Amino acid sequence: METLNSITPELIRIVMAVVGGVVIVFGNALVMGYLERKLAGHFQRRPGPMEVGFHGILQLLIDGVKLMGKQLVVPAQADKKLFMLAPMLSFVPVFLPLLVIPFSDKMQAFDLDVGLLFILAVAAINVLAILVGGWGSNNKYSLFGAFRSVAQNVAYEIPMLISLLAIVFMTNTFSLKGIVEAQNIWFVVLQPVAFLIYLVCMVAETNRAPFDLPEAESELTAGFHTEYSGMGFSLFMMAEYTNMFICCSIATVFFLGGTSGIPLPYFEYTGAIWFVAKVYLLMFFLVWIRWTYPRTRFDQLMNLCWKYLIPFSLVNLLITVVVVKL
Amino acid sequence: MMNVDVLQDERHHRFVLNMGPQHPSTHGVLRVLLEMEGEYALELQPVLGYGHRCHEKIAEYKPAKNFMPNTARMDYLGALIYNHGYAMLLERACGIEVPRRAEYIRVIVDELNRIQSHLLWLGAYLLDLGAFTPIMYSFDDREEILDILEDITGSRLTYCYMRVGGVCKDIDDKFVSRTRAFIDRLRSRYSIYEELVNGNVILQKRLIDVGDYTPEICARYGVTGPLLRGTGVEYDLRKAESYSVYSEFDFEIPTEQRGDSWASYNVRYREIEQSLRIIEQALDKLPEGDFIAPKVPKKLKIPAGDYNSSVEAPRGELSYYLVSDGSDMPYRLKIRTPSYCNLSVLPEMCKGMMIADVVACMGALDLVIPEIDR
Amino acid sequence: MNVKQIEKKWQGLGAKVEAVAYAQTGYDYDVTLTPESLHGFAEVMLAEGFYLVDLMAVHVKPAIEVVYQFAHFGGQRCRVMGRTFVDAQGALPTISDVFQGANWHEREARDFHGVVFAGHPNLQPLILAEEDVDLKPLLKDEKVLKDVAAIRRQVPEAEAPAAEKAAKPEAAN
Repeated sequence: METLNSITPELIRIVMAVVGGVVIVFGNALVMGYLERKLAGHFQRRPGPMEVGFHGILQLLIDGVKLMGKQLVVPAQADKKLFMLAPMLSFVPVFLPLLVIPFSDKMQAFDLDVGLLFILAVAAINVLAILVGGWGSNNKYSLFGAFRSVAQNVAYEIPMLISLLAIVFMTNTFSLKGIVEAQNIWFVVLQPVAFLIYLVCMVAETNRAPFDLPEAESELTAGFHTEYSGMGFSLFMMAEYTNMFICCSIATVFFLGGTSGIPLPYFEYTGAIWFVAKVYLLMFFLVWIRWTYPRTRFDQLMNLCWKYLIPFSLVNLLITVVVVKL
Repeated sequence: MMNVDVLQDERHHRFVLNMGPQHPSTHGVLRVLLEMEGEYALELQPVLGYGHRCHEKIAEYKPAKNFMPNTARMDYLGALIYNHGYAMLLERACGIEVPRRAEYIRVIVDELNRIQSHLLWLGAYLLDLGAFTPIMYSFDDREEILDILEDITGSRLTYCYMRVGGVCKDIDDKFVSRTRAFIDRLRSRYSIYEELVNGNVILQKRLIDVGDYTPEICARYGVTGPLLRGTGVEYDLRKAESYSVYSEFDFEIPTEQRGDSWASYNVRYREIEQSLRIIEQALDKLPEGDFIAPKVPKKLKIPAGDYNSSVEAPRGELSYYLVSDGSDMPYRLKIRTPSYCNLSVLPEMCKGMMIADVVACMGALDLVIPEIDR
Repeated sequence: MNVKQIEKKWQGLGAKVEAVAYAQTGYDYDVTLTPESLHGFAEVMLAEGFYLVDLMAVHVKPAIEVVYQFAHFGGQRCRVMGRTFVDAQGALPTISDVFQGANWHEREARDFHGVVFAGHPNLQPLILAEEDVDLKPLLKDEKVLKDVAAIRRQVPEAEAPAAEKAAKPEAAN
């Protein structure tokens, strides 16, 4: 009986965390799907979706129903197992990092000591999913997209991690909660270079324009998800949006002070409002640049990473280390 | 056709990528076979004919006058200019004098047509390069032109406005005032295009030094139009052969020296302003009079012989060559379309390029596939 | 560009050169060639800075007439039609090694009229489908096939170039 009592709160905690994670994944995909189309519309001097519901607010629900109703076509020559596995492989891991993100003081499922490493490790599985999807489709364009994606994501993970390491050196912890608590001044003020490098890497990691080479429509039709239809496609889309959410959350935790903001009642819970507001501000930024810039070429993208971002982030790390030790 | 077996056999690290006929950046039904090694295209081979509609054969089976609507179906973006070239051909063959007002109207609508073609190209090209938004802005402007032209011609894309000896309907004051308003509107938009699009570093990096070519290559392949002017050759049929009343207007031929995609991009962009200048002058000087020659015979007998008419289409030189045996039906009509020759340079231009640059080059050619296939 | 000199070069190739009224026909020179002189003619044109506008075939009675249209990038207008004949069995030398643009034009002429160009690197169907190699859709039926004289311009007084030049330009411009 005593053991049951001690287990139950933990069990409830796990169940709540999982349910919360799923809610965030789907909710975020709905909100972002709508926001992206609406914002794109306004950037392009048109209203965007207007028909379903007030200002098209239910459009994404309708689209979801449509996508679920679509047949999932598997190309004749495709590797069927890999082809079916890829969307799931892409979708499942993106949900795990949500468990360690501190939405507010008390809204965090697990405060791992190695929270940052956990997120980066799990997020890397997404690359594998894209490779599997591109390979399994047995389509040259898909394979192109997959190869580009692997090269790009692997390259950009390096400056991303190095720029975040500068913060870790300042706070002496990998725990996301510890990093939030260590921020008396937001680190975006103390580490502007790291923040800028992180922003660029974030765009590349989430495969968004101007770095959306894995799915560059004008070159590769749709890149790695050329052959996917229906739910296969929408799982990839949801993974992309969740990936954006996680990357923006990390930026919020590391540079924008996490939950800090004007105090509200019950701040240990309501701090999440500020957190989410900051995340969506960054997401707005991502949408904004997507609809503004043309796409870079692949060699230019890689040059940017290897020739500029990695050296700069290393120098930044070195300076940080020296300053911290002094 | 490339030998796929050989590729798989001897040079197994290469593969053939089939781009089109359904591909977002081939703008229609062009198909290009790319022999790839990784990201690099080593050999290119355009495959044509998916949109072939036998226009030249059709021309031999109907009275020459009745072929006018077909000309619009070849280049759907330069329909009025194609009309103009064909009307000019028959007028030249039969010795019909065109009233001055008709010539002025023709020039105005030609230039409007040219601007809308360039605006569509601008948007579509940037879309090829991954910028989604500019096309909405350029279509916004283009829509105005379509509305203006719809009012006088009755259609929005495949116009059949010109007739042998003039045009089918006179323009009115509403047309003049709307066109003037449009000129002001488009000029006020330059700053948007220049600051947000032309000045963009990513765009410049994508285009500068991509797809080099020289005047000599242009001569060997017969490349004309903005592409040729991008190599510094000041050759524009509106000046070189000054057909219609173009000699009466003051305008420049924009040229660039670089001979790459960025040069032809800038030439096209700057041509928009020159076209506006022509329209402005034409509206100022618009003479009174007939809009169609009064005595054009119903049955137009073309004297035996061969005739040629060349006009500057948005994409380059358009030539009609007519051989007549003295009846009212052409014995043979050959249409030289600019995109056909411009595309033929692609394999040489894009050898060893990355696939993203191939797309950039293809966009710079400003292809309209129906005029290639005819 | 010295037109007189170029004219001499053409005549040096054994071509019959005739100046025509632009206002009436839309081109300036009519050069009649033999198939043998064709390649040399193309070389002269390239050296003089002309570009190949178009290549077209016309099916007439004794043989198929092939017309090469050239124009000049320079400021001065000079549009030249070089014409030659080839019969159904014969072949013309290709000029695609001089003017690479002729490659596609020659393939098109092969598609539509069945004109064979000797030495062409790849005389495969371009616009027609591969299985339509022998369709030759633009060849005329016997009924409508005209003699070559029927499609020539009727000059009132004999074939004097001077008379043609003097012919009053009646066209619009």
